[in-house]
Amino acid sequence: MKKLLAVTAILGLTAITPTASAHHSNAMFDMSREVNMRGVVREFQWTNPHAYIQLVVTDENGEEVEWSMEMGAPMYLYARGWRPRTLRPGTEIQVRANPLRSGDPGGVVVDVVDAEGNEIGTNQ
Amino acid sequence: MRWTAFAALALSSLAAPACAQSDEAQEARIEAFSEIPYWPGYWVSEYTIGTTIGGAAPALQEARESGNTEVFRNFMALNGGAAPWNEEGRRRMAEVRAAARGRKADGWGFPMMMNAATPLVFVFSPEMVIIANSYNEVRYIYTDGRPMPDELDMWPTVYGTSVGHWEGDTLVVETRMVSTPSDYFHSAPAFSEDAVYEERLRLEGDRLVGEYTITDPTTLSEPWQVTVGWLRDEGFDRMIQIDWDNDRTGSDGEYNTIEAEAQED
Repeated sequence: MKKLLAVTAILGLTAITPTASAHHSNAMFDMSREVNMRGVVREFQWTNPHAYIQLVVTDENGEEVEWSMEMGAPMYLYARGWRPRTLRPGTEIQVRANPLRSGDPGGVVVDVVDAEGNEIGTNQ
Repeated sequence: MRWTAFAALALSSLAAPACAQSDEAQEARIEAFSEIPYWPGYWVSEYTIGTTIGGAAPALQEARESGNTEVFRNFMALNGGAAPWNEEGRRRMAEVRAAARGRKADGWGFPMMMNAATPLVFVFSPEMVIIANSYNEVRYIYTDGRPMPDELDMWPTVYGTSVGHWEGDTLVVETRMVSTPSDYFHSAPAFSEDAVYEERLRLEGDRLVGEYTITDPTTLSEPWQVTVGWLRDEGFDRMIQIDWDNDRTGSDGEYNTIEAEAQED
């Protein structure tokens, strides 16, 4: 809770501050909220200026929704043990992310674990 | 000393037999190389050390929690946030900010590539310095003693035209004819094409330091001096080289968003 309050208190500041990887501000993401999405990888985009996990998630109505999960740039992923084939289409994973403020199905990745809950790569 | 070696090489090439010429050329080149510093490794802006897979920098997260606004100011200092803009400069920066929402880019360009979220490599030869990042952005800096080309031999480009020289272990670079940086990248400074960029780059222990002086009477009230630092981060052992070709930045009118993928039929 303390951390959450701290994050909330500086929202005004974060609105004008960049993320590390980024060519854009992180104001587009709600850093005070987290979503934890379990789904199946449709595509892992090993691209600049960001990598993306296209994750197909089945919602509470049984509908499939594709989420765009933004990551840092590939060279940072590489340095943390990730490779283009780390996530193959069809792989089941769980992604923790700060969601988009726009309400679109997407967010910025906090961490990723496999179906058994094992961390992928070395996040730090 | 370096130029003495080159002069000897040039004189010897006029009369010496081919074999001797080759030996002397090789010796001169070895001597020239021996005088050049060596900055091996992959250098990232110091505030991006430890960046996570989600693109979060621990330094920024700590600053948010502690309220240390200095880190935010210095994080990408070359973006011009603290530059002494004159009226025209302020007008241009306001225009750039107003148009930034949802704007895509093709790369960082100069000077932002020197302060961006990407490792840099510095490759030296006696005649040239090459600075490259992981977005396939490259600067060529001629250190063979040539002057800056005549104005008619230059035209504005994203990376400008650079000549440099060594002052001891400090690489001194002058860059001109950089197209307005904010035309290429939305968070870059709105300097004019007449801006002159002077860099003094040197290694201080394990930290690489760049002192920048940017002069642009069109947009600045006085020359702007700013310092950038780079460190070697863990995990970088080769350049992961990918074009900036998947910018999915969009806008919902209020906030930036991630553009959905175009669906194939």
